[in-house]
Amino acid sequence: MMLVEIVNPYYLQVGSFILINIILGLSIYVTLSSGQLSLGNAGFMGIGAYTSALLTLNFDVPIIVGVIAGAVVAGLFGILVGIPSLRLQGVYLAIATLGFGEVIRVFFVNWESVTKGAVGISGIPHIGREIFMVLKDAGFDPAIIGLKNNQFVFLTVFFVLLLINILLVWFIFRQQNSRIGRAFAAIKMDEKAAESMGINITYYKVLAFVQGALISGFAGALFAHVMSYISPADFSYHRAVEILIFAVFGGSEVIVGAIFGATFLTLMPEMLRFISEYRYMIYGLILLLMMAFRPQGLIDVQVLHWFQKLRLPKRRAEHGSKNQKHL
Amino acid sequence: MLLEQLINGITLGSIYAIVALGFTLVFGVLGIINMAHGEIFMFGAFIGVIITSTLGLPLWIAFLAAIIVTGILGYMLERVALRPLRGKQGVSHLAPLISTIGASILLENLSHHLFGAGNHPFRNAFAEISFQIGSITIYLVQILIFVISVILMIVLSYWLLKTKAGKALRATAENIETASILGVNTKRIIILTVVIASAMGGIAGILVGMAFNSVNPQMGLSMGLKGLAIIILGGMGNVRGAMAGGLILGLSETLIVAYGDSGYRDAVAFITIIVILLLRPQGLFGQKTTAAGR
Amino acid sequence: MVLKIKSISKNFGGISALTDVSFSIEEGEIFGLIGPNGAGKTTMFNMITNLFPPSSGEITFAGEIITGIKPHLITEKGICRTFQNIRLFPQMSALENVMVGGHSRSKSGVFSSVIRTKAQRNEEARLRGSAIELLELVGLSDGIGTEAENLSYGQQRRLEIARALASKPKLLLLDEPAAGMNETETDDLFDLIKKVQARGITVLIIEHDMPLVMKLCDRILVLNFGKKLAEGTPKDIQNNKAVIEAYLGSEEDEQSA
Ligand SMILES: Nc1ncnc2c1ncn2[C@@H]1O[C@H](COP(=O)(O)OP(=O)(O)OP(=O)(O)O)[C@@H](O)[C@H]1O
Ligand SMILES: [Mg+2]
Repeated sequence: MMLVEIVNPYYLQVGSFILINIILGLSIYVTLSSGQLSLGNAGFMGIGAYTSALLTLNFDVPIIVGVIAGAVVAGLFGILVGIPSLRLQGVYLAIATLGFGEVIRVFFVNWESVTKGAVGISGIPHIGREIFMVLKDAGFDPAIIGLKNNQFVFLTVFFVLLLINILLVWFIFRQQNSRIGRAFAAIKMDEKAAESMGINITYYKVLAFVQGALISGFAGALFAHVMSYISPADFSYHRAVEILIFAVFGGSEVIVGAIFGATFLTLMPEMLRFISEYRYMIYGLILLLMMAFRPQGLIDVQVLHWFQKLRLPKRRAEHGSKNQKHL
Repeated sequence: MLLEQLINGITLGSIYAIVALGFTLVFGVLGIINMAHGEIFMFGAFIGVIITSTLGLPLWIAFLAAIIVTGILGYMLERVALRPLRGKQGVSHLAPLISTIGASILLENLSHHLFGAGNHPFRNAFAEISFQIGSITIYLVQILIFVISVILMIVLSYWLLKTKAGKALRATAENIETASILGVNTKRIIILTVVIASAMGGIAGILVGMAFNSVNPQMGLSMGLKGLAIIILGGMGNVRGAMAGGLILGLSETLIVAYGDSGYRDAVAFITIIVILLLRPQGLFGQKTTAAGR
Repeated sequence: MVLKIKSISKNFGGISALTDVSFSIEEGEIFGLIGPNGAGKTTMFNMITNLFPPSSGEITFAGEIITGIKPHLITEKGICRTFQNIRLFPQMSALENVMVGGHSRSKSGVFSSVIRTKAQRNEEARLRGSAIELLELVGLSDGIGTEAENLSYGQQRRLEIARALASKPKLLLLDEPAAGMNETETDDLFDLIKKVQARGITVLIIEHDMPLVMKLCDRILVLNFGKKLAEGTPKDIQNNKAVIEAYLGSEEDEQSA
């Protein structure tokens, strides 16, 4: 009986949104960690979402296959956009990807025979319900663990997403602390120097870009199967800005930053209902203020060190920061 | 009617050129892409709606008011979004892009709250006046838009080439440090640049209101993206390129609508962006620069 | 012959930074590249590492033509450099900087890095080990965990050398390594470069500190206004009239070819 009260579908729903947004935040984080800004991740998200939705609806493909296909197709588009975009530096890449995102959206709107145009696609198979059906066929009843059907469905979605998040963070974290991650960071800090140290910058920049595309496509596909409904408006410029802001606000230099940014900015309008109306205005202000006062985002390496010191006061080794800048 | 379409295209193109000039000026001097330019343009259009439709005042007052308001917006943008980042150590070149994106969504949603979301009609006394030349219909508004745009371009070119302030601006665009050593007050030039660029956006806003008789908060975004497409087409920071690029985009959009699929009209600009960036990153009219990287 | 430069010219717009320069470097020697400011020394480094392509001419390294090859492949073939205006990765620790230097001598991909295969862990340990050893060599054992931007100027210069050495070069290019160093630091640098030579690495060094150059180099090439002015042993160079004149700043023949 207890569980029935705790498991509130509304909280779970918000929790699921947070988890999807974290994936999106991580998608831009990965690309940024190589010094590239992609504003096309909303477009890649859309590609993932539409691919998976159409496959599951029209060809009865299982959701998991659809989601993987969505991510892969988005990744392929990432290669398509990423390789030629390499000739573009910083700001130009951002604009090219922004243009790409808009082209994709315009196609979703206009390719009505397939995408149903601006109306969008509804009735997309829902992850939670599908899993529930499978389990029910196998003779499982949520009442056994004291849950109503819809609670079980939402709970399933939440845990599936949580598992995916954990895997993804694990993936990015390990990659970051390796030869690959060092190459990304070197390119971000000084491209010419990185190249002179033997790093194939073309390869690593495309790699980071495609990973970002793949992860956004993945998030988009999950989004489609959690919302059951998608339309081109879900993948507009505003989504691109929202994804950007997750990383910029939380901190674009550490994984925790994107996670915190996505969590906080998804929760904020839910907790403070009156804010919801002003949400984008606040987003705008945040971007302005962050760039002026804290371009690296709320959480940076220093903040992490500070937390570590709090947690492990004894084990703290002397950090030899001498701070003797010359010239 | 091809000729009629061409006239429509030129009208649209001359507005695009004005918007693109605003982008180009700021990029030329500051090396920054002002993502909020489209929203400043949109504010200009709304000032036009308020002055002419709501208050019933004459059009020239609308122009004046739009120039003042968007000029002030430009000044505030420089103070809040650009100046704090300038000369600061360790700020990535992406920072001004992001902060102007912030300004853009702030302004867009501010106008939602101030003016309401839907389409606002832009009434003016001569919207329906037209001439018949043979089988072609030309609207007075089209002529007016074209004339105003051309005057604006001539004035700007003259100002850049011949006046002291214009020369200082070009010197700053060439090399900000050298200009400052030569005694140019670069800080003032930068403010001046952003203010002039914004005021041109404001004028373009009214022209668009006149041309389409409708104004809404989302128009800033689509116009902003088109302006970007044009300066990429014309070469970043290139004044002539912006004018030519504006005309090209205006004409090609009009022709797509007339002879192709109107739904893809907005995609023209973005496809242009992508194609140009990939084939000729310096723009149609730009020169190849040797990347310095010592 | 490790490196052979054949009639290299480079124009930047109207300026000709290098005009028809040829020379070659023998295995194991320390070769000096000197000349007044703007003579084109750094440009020569940029040609060798192909950060910019030369306008004309050909560069051969270990018997293989390397003009037009991408910079990272040149590093892989065994040429690595330092920069005149230090270009470390500022927010990385000294250790990480040197490990990045070992990039071309390691090969873990995304998959093995995430799975942490045995080969990957061994490789990481090897990279770390040799980075620590190199930091010791350049005298930076204390600063291993310090971010590069927080090191002193002299330390940063030495860190750049360690980073370049991590790519296991056959030919090391040093661009004004002694710039900004005091006398003791310069002496240490001398010892360091000698140690590098002792490891069988050929060194091409640009330097303005003449006593150091004369003491260190086996042979020297003098550039002036992008042209070869003289080439020879330190003694030859010291006694060369044209060189002395160039260094005293007679600018009569400015760009007159
Ligand atoms: N990327 C570039 N673009 C344009 N001109 C350049 C570039 N790099 C070098 N130059 C020019 O080429 C000439 C040679 O420069 P270089 O840096 O090679 O001289 P240097 O011998 O290294 O001088 P220094 O002792 O001051 O380091 C100079 O006139 C310089 O201005
Ligand atoms: Mg030099």
